[in-house]
Amino acid sequence: MIRFLVKRLIGLIFVVVGVTFVTFTLGYFAPGDPIREQMGIHFQYQLWLQLRHAYGLDLPFFAQYWNFLVHLVHLDFGLSFHYQNRPVWDILKSGVPISAELGFWGLMVELLLGIPLGILSALKANTWIDTLNMSLMLVIYALPVFVLAVFAQVIIIWLDNLTGASWPVSQWGNPWQYSFTDIQYKLVPILVYGAAGFAYFARIARTSMLEVLRQDYVRTARAKGMRERVVIYRHALRNAMIPLITVLGLSIAFLVAGAFFIEHVFNIPGIGSISLNSVFDRDYPVIQATTVIFAVAVVIGNMISDLLYTVVDPRIKVQ
Amino acid sequence: MDMKEKSELNSSDLTAVPTSPELTSPGVMVPDTGGVPELAELVTDTTIVPAELEQQKRRKPSSPFRDSMRRLRRDKRAMASIGVIVFFILLALVGPTIYQHIGGQFNSPTLGLIGPDQYHNYSIQELTLLDQGPSAMHLLGTDNIGRDILARLMQGILISITVAFLVEVIDIFLGITVGVLAGYFGGWIDQLLARFTDLMFAFPGLLFVILLTGILGSNADAWFGGIPFLGQNGNSRLLLVSLALAFTVWPLMARYVRGQTLQLKEQQFIEAARTSGTGSVGIILHHIIPNLFSIVFIASTLNIANTIVGEAGISYLGLGVQDPGSSIGLMIAQATDNIQVYPWEIMVPTVVLAIIVVAVSFFGDGLRDAFDPRSKD
Repeated sequence: MIRFLVKRLIGLIFVVVGVTFVTFTLGYFAPGDPIREQMGIHFQYQLWLQLRHAYGLDLPFFAQYWNFLVHLVHLDFGLSFHYQNRPVWDILKSGVPISAELGFWGLMVELLLGIPLGILSALKANTWIDTLNMSLMLVIYALPVFVLAVFAQVIIIWLDNLTGASWPVSQWGNPWQYSFTDIQYKLVPILVYGAAGFAYFARIARTSMLEVLRQDYVRTARAKGMRERVVIYRHALRNAMIPLITVLGLSIAFLVAGAFFIEHVFNIPGIGSISLNSVFDRDYPVIQATTVIFAVAVVIGNMISDLLYTVVDPRIKVQ
Repeated sequence: MDMKEKSELNSSDLTAVPTSPELTSPGVMVPDTGGVPELAELVTDTTIVPAELEQQKRRKPSSPFRDSMRRLRRDKRAMASIGVIVFFILLALVGPTIYQHIGGQFNSPTLGLIGPDQYHNYSIQELTLLDQGPSAMHLLGTDNIGRDILARLMQGILISITVAFLVEVIDIFLGITVGVLAGYFGGWIDQLLARFTDLMFAFPGLLFVILLTGILGSNADAWFGGIPFLGQNGNSRLLLVSLALAFTVWPLMARYVRGQTLQLKEQQFIEAARTSGTGSVGIILHHIIPNLFSIVFIASTLNIANTIVGEAGISYLGLGVQDPGSSIGLMIAQATDNIQVYPWEIMVPTVVLAIIVVAVSFFGDGLRDAFDPRSKD
């Protein structure tokens, strides 16, 4: 177990170095000078030289990258190019809890809605319930997340006009607080965020459950005269969960990708929005920092899913 | 003890011997009696049939590929999907030409007397006809700056097809090259592929596409402006989008190809080829790559849906196709501002995008079921 964790942490370092190297190289060789762009019409040669020196942009490529890595080890992402004198961390600080909250509830929606729907479909296999459910899941899965988000907004606005209510379609309440107004802000984005994933989970859960129901031990349990509920919940369901755990790791990568669109459409001030805005503003230090955060989230998600795998199925040993 | 072992062996041998002709074990060759009477019925001329003719009349033996194609043809969902896909491809390729010949002259207050080649062009604005509903002149209406929605839609589908094609060409080329080399030779190239795939799996693919198009996008016009179609009318960033999308997907293709190559390498026909003196290059080109067809075909078809959604998403964020041009994602983004007043304008591109994506996914699923029956749930 400890060997596994150590190995994974080394892998994490490798990934962070790789990801930052790619991002850094892109930024370094990108056409245009970020400082010059920020200065705009107030361009002065002396000031430009000073600023370049202050940001360490006059150093050679590898020296700059090395500096970046050294600062990263101290969890210091440097100063923003776009917002003067603001440390990158200061900009990210407010976004991290919001994105984490969005991600957590999105994942909960996927698991708590997707898996039961898939199981239901498997138990009612080849009936109209199954067909309807799976067709619906396929359509939701096929629709891009930004389309779902925009549709959700249209429906809310339509309902608002109809009932005279004022359910919000953008912004986010207080992070990790759940008063009625907070829930109003958060409910729809979270549901839409989880939608694509829960359709995927439902499909996998159905396949996995059908596979398990065909196994000999399920037949034996039934032959012993056990009640159907016990057979399904105690024998079949537990084994059907195993493949779902491998998908869990993958789904975190999808959630990260979805964050850009959900936060953009619903105007949520999370890491996705900050990252997207920093790309538009060419604020390289912020781009670097958000990339690192996303990559670390994906790697840790994968690590947790691997660990869970061994907990659920003791036959599998972590290596 | 020796005796006992022998007797046991005998008895087990005895049970294996078929007791009746119906119970022949699968390994035993039985003359095919089923096909012959049919053949005799077919051949009405009962005079002597030359051997070559008989050979011709006999149905071609079914190969795994033909079996798969038969299964695919029987899959109604996949066949309906391919119909939809072909319809949209034709719409994108031939549609604009036809559409620009439909309709009479129109006296525009801003542009003068113009024909359908003008007002059915995807980038021509008719500022006196903003946000129109469907009419005889504009079959799907006009958008918020007076451009024909159907014309923009057809151009947008063409963009989706172009990006899907570019991405798959790069994906297949890189995937096969690296995957075969890694699977066949192993060693450092295999290690490198494994590390690189780990890295790409941890790096959210979309983030990479956003970074690449966002950082390099402003220079795309200068770099690719000279390329016909792809470099013009705001499409110049498409090449960047395609490269970025291909770059994020090829490791997965290489992984599939590597797995298949590892399996193929152990097969007897490869061993036979090697024994008869075929070199590594010959084995790879003539024996391994042709056998990768089905896995590459399935993987790339399944990936097309993601590619189309990816391009639409990037254009939606404003990092893909730029304004004079059209893309389904850009149409959705431009219709978002007026969503409360003119929901029609956003419904058209959204529904078309959904239909295309569902059709491609259905076809991909059908292909997988047909070529790999074990995968069917």
